Formats: sequence, structure tokens, C-alpha cells
Amino acid sequence: MGRFNDASKAQKSICAALAIAAFILLWFFATNGTNLGVVLAGPVEVFRKFFVSFVQPLGTHTIPGHILWSLSRVMVGFLAGSALGIVLGVTMGWYRIIDAIFRPIYEMIRPIPPIAWIPLAILWFGLGEVTKYFLIFLAAFGNVTMNAYAGVKSVDPVLIGAAKMLGASDRRVFTSIVLPACVPHIFAGLQIALGSAWATVVAAEMVRSSEGVGWVIITGQDTNNSVQILVGIIAVGAIGYLLAILMRGIEAKLCAWSERGK
Amino acid sequence: MKNEVIVCKDVSKRFETERGVVDVIDKVDLTVEENELVVLFGPGQCGKTTLINVMAGLETATGGEVTVSGKKVEKPGPDRGVVYQTTALFPWLTVMGNVEYGPKSRGISKKERRERAQYYIDLVGLQGFENSFPSKLSGGMKQRVGIARAYCNEPVVMFMDEPFGHLDAQTRYLMQEELMRIWEKEKRTIVFVTNNIEEALYLADRIVVMTNCPTTVKTEYKIDLPRPRDYVAPEFLHLREEISAVVDKTL
Repeated sequence: MGRFNDASKAQKSICAALAIAAFILLWFFATNGTNLGVVLAGPVEVFRKFFVSFVQPLGTHTIPGHILWSLSRVMVGFLAGSALGIVLGVTMGWYRIIDAIFRPIYEMIRPIPPIAWIPLAILWFGLGEVTKYFLIFLAAFGNVTMNAYAGVKSVDPVLIGAAKMLGASDRRVFTSIVLPACVPHIFAGLQIALGSAWATVVAAEMVRSSEGVGWVIITGQDTNNSVQILVGIIAVGAIGYLLAILMRGIEAKLCAWSERGK
Repeated sequence: MKNEVIVCKDVSKRFETERGVVDVIDKVDLTVEENELVVLFGPGQCGKTTLINVMAGLETATGGEVTVSGKKVEKPGPDRGVVYQTTALFPWLTVMGNVEYGPKSRGISKKERRERAQYYIDLVGLQGFENSFPSKLSGGMKQRVGIARAYCNEPVVMFMDEPFGHLDAQTRYLMQEELMRIWEKEKRTIVFVTNNIEEALYLADRIVVMTNCPTTVKTEYKIDLPRPRDYVAPEFLHLREEISAVVDKTL
């Protein structure tokens, strides 16, 4: 079994590497051999710039600096939004009265995309960091709440009955049955929320900022510098991908028991 | 006089759904004595599971009452253990975690509950699997954990709701044998539900034949065959034929 897994893992990595290489080659020939090169910078240029930016600052920061700025904004908003989302989602799912009070409001706010709040957020919090935190908070909060709520609703009533038959108090049923049963759902929500938070930080930085990957992209646009735009885009993609992998790793650890976690 | 542990008096259960009223149990009178293994036998979907849920306290009777050791059953409680049709193990807990769940819920010290859980894990033959998650176990092993979990709480009575219904035929025979071995070693009052006549005859001290829905007691058979029982002994086959003829037929 282990050997089989190792083999298919290696196969998967090889496929991934080949696909990425093929994509870059296609990009290279498309920009060098055709007129596309006029509006799109080639991969050699872009990657050179990307790595040069590790030491030579773009604006006030190097590329890792910009990434860290964006990441720190994401983390503040994401952690706050997720924490509140888990609490609200789980309690809404478990207590009817909280469901009755909060769900109508939540259901109305949920479909509003976070970036629609930008004008109001600027009005309330100004052009500084708080506005960005707020937007990312909204992005994370919406997704996590929904999934935590669905998680509680999908707990198998037979398991709750089994716990009660074994002598578990209501409180213990909640902490030892309902909460662990929700973890995979909450993680699915966190996964979506992280993606959404990362997308939102870029949007927020493009509105107003002096650092961050969104800033890299928008100043690229302002100076007609397609190389810089692509450098920003690559940074966004790479970090988003790494965050998703990190998240899956944590999930696999915490949900070792479930089919999904394996 | 024998000690009556479970007494059902005039127990009825009626479900009121959007599509109308459904009577599932109709005035069941039933007593189970200490350390007796009673099998509730009847056609599929006849309300046996509902009856067991009412006796366990997972559902409330709409008429009559159930007492266990003289106390009226009103809600779930640890003096009654349940082994479920589907395994109903807690998937995020290991075998040990599942088996010690009951004692842990009742605040028994870690050392004591670990010892006790280990005893029952050994008893059901799962030593070496203490740290496995249920998703890694076979169907038969999962049911062994279910039995150990119910036993470990040391309940007065145990309800088993078609616990072997989902197993393949071979594993099913093996588990019936295992249950007998465990029960001979650790006698308990057991109410066992099945719709399989062979299983009923192999296990029961007494078979209570239930009618179709709304279910009630049709008739009873005291089974005195010596254990371990032989599935093809003439007396066994004779009883099998006799009881099969009595049971209501369903499609």
C-alpha cells in the first residue's frame, strides 16, 4: 500500500512539473514568435524581474516584503473573521434561538461580495489598514459561518443518541460529538475563506496602499509596465497555492480519522 | 421468583407526521428477566427498532410505560446500553476512545476506565487495535467495538438492534458465535432484534414473535436447546420451520 502511494505521488509530481513546463514554453513561444509579445511580456523577462525583485525593491519594498505586507493583512482579517464565523456558525447550528435571531441578518449580508463594501469601509475607517482588515474579515467570516453552520446541521443524530445513551451530558455531547463532527466542514470553509481573503486583499490594496502585492499590480498598470503586473500576479498565485497546501496539511493532521483527512 | 429487569406495560407508539397518524407499536406487554437473552423477532419494518428505542429511552412512548430495574424510562441513560444497526461509532475517536467514552462521560478516573476498557477490548478480541480509528476497521471489527463500548459502561440491560444485519453471511455466523462466547463470560440482560430466524434461534433464551405494523406480541417461544447450538440439528430445524410459519409475511 505504502509503495503504491509513493509511486502515484511521484507520478503526480512529474505530471505537475511537466504541465507547468509546457505552459511556460507555450507562453515563451507565444510572446516571442507572434505579435502577442507587444501586449504580453515573455516568461524570461518576467521571471528575471521576479527574482531580481527579491533584492532590488519595487517601490519601497522587495517582493518578499510586499508579500509579507499582504500576508499580514490577510492573517489579521482571516483569523478574526474565521474565529467569529466558527463561533456564530456553530452556535447558530446548535441553539435554535440564536439561529432564529441571527440567521436572517446573516443570510442578507452573506451574498454581498466583500469588495462592494469598499466605499462604505473607506467612509467609516479611512484609507488605512483598518479598511483592509475589515474587507478581509468580511470575506472570511461569510464562508466560515456558512460551513460551520452546515457542519452542525449534518451531525448524525444517531451519534448524539449514542453519546446520550452512554451517559454524556448535553455539554459533553456538544464538546465531544458536535464539535469534532464539524471540524471537516469548518476546514472546507476555512479553505474557501482563505482563497477569498487573499483575493480581497489584492482588491483592497489596488484601491489604496503603498505596499503589498495588489500595489505591485496596480502601479504596474499606472506605469504601463506589464512585466511588473505579471510579477505581482505570479506572487499572488504562488502564495495562494502555498497557503492552500499549508491548510490541507493542517486539515490532514486534525482530521486523521476521516476519509477526507487521509 | 426470578428478577424482572425490564417491564413493558401497554406500550404504544404513535407518530404524527404531515401525512397523518401512524401507529407503530400497539400495546406491547413484555417482561425480561435478569441475564435473559430475549430476541424480538418479526418481519422487516415492523416497528422492532422503534420498540427498542422506546425501551432504551431514545424515543418516548405515547401510551403505557417501560421500567428498567423498577425505574421508569423517560430519557437516555447509562444504565441501558445500545448496540446499533449501523455501527454508530464516533469516527474521530480511536477504538480505545470509543470504548472508554461511557466511563469517561460518567467521570471515572483515567486509570480505572482505561483498565476496564482494555478488559472489554480484549474480551471482544481487538487487542492491538486500541489506537486504530474506526474507518480502518472491517464491518465485523466495528461491531465488536460497538459491543465493547456498550459493555464497558456496565449497563443493567443491553439493547442490540440488528447489529449483524449489515455483515456478510460468514462474518455474521462468526459474530453470533462471538456474542455467545462474550455473553457466557459476561452475563447481561440482552434484548436483541433481528429478522433472521437462524440468528434468533442460535442466540435466544426466548423468542418473542412480533406482528406486522402496528406491532404487538404475537406469541413467544422458550428455547431450551443446549449451547453452543447446531444450525442443522433436527430440533433446531424443526423450531425454525415452526416459527417461520407463524411470522407475518411482508413484501
